[in-house]
Amino acid sequence: MLAAVMLFAAGAAPAVGVGERAPDFRLPQLGKDAPLGLADLHGKVVFVDFWASWCSPCREAMPQYEKLRASLPGDAFAILAVNVDETRADAEKFLAAHPVGYAIVLDPAGEVPKAYGLIGMPTSYLIDRNGVVRWRGQGFKSADIDTLRQEIDKLAKEPAHAS
Amino acid sequence: MRPDLLLRLVCALACGASLAACATTPVQPWERAHLARWDMRWDPDSVQTAMKQHAYFSKEGSNGTIGAAGGGCGCN
Repeated sequence: MLAAVMLFAAGAAPAVGVGERAPDFRLPQLGKDAPLGLADLHGKVVFVDFWASWCSPCREAMPQYEKLRASLPGDAFAILAVNVDETRADAEKFLAAHPVGYAIVLDPAGEVPKAYGLIGMPTSYLIDRNGVVRWRGQGFKSADIDTLRQEIDKLAKEPAHAS
Repeated sequence: MRPDLLLRLVCALACGASLAACATTPVQPWERAHLARWDMRWDPDSVQTAMKQHAYFSKEGSNGTIGAAGGGCGCN
């Protein structure tokens, strides 16, 4: 029994699901001096995307997310992309070829995906104006963009409470 | 507690704890950078694989030996 407990003790946290509060984090930002966290975006609908340069569907998704961001007002919606590359240069190389206008934060140690209990890459979360997960996507399908647009429109109309 | 019983208990606990050494740490989804490398793929170059299979089939006279559907009659 002791061995069984030790066997499972090292497991990641259970996956954060829809309806749960999104775990807060603050990480160094790529290309900016100041770190950025979820709390800094309180009051906005936030799309958190976990990605890496070695992940094919992540690379496919990012230009689509950039189009989505560019088509929506910045005061109501933000994308926060958490890069989990071990090497910062890998992320920078990909972004040089596929630039995006949204914030990229760096988590080479993988602490934030561990806190969110990710079970695959890419995984993304749509978080409402009060910090609650309202949509979760695993993998990437082009149809997700239409779903996201509808959800964002809906969530942007909901009231934000004071933090 | 008798010393021999205590010794047995300690030995039993030590044996149980040593089983934990058999545990593996699973690779988490965000740690798969090396596994996602091109040269880590099962079939990194589909053209080269097709050529190798063609050579193999020709030498063995056994078309479809690598994963082809059929009943093994060699006629499909």
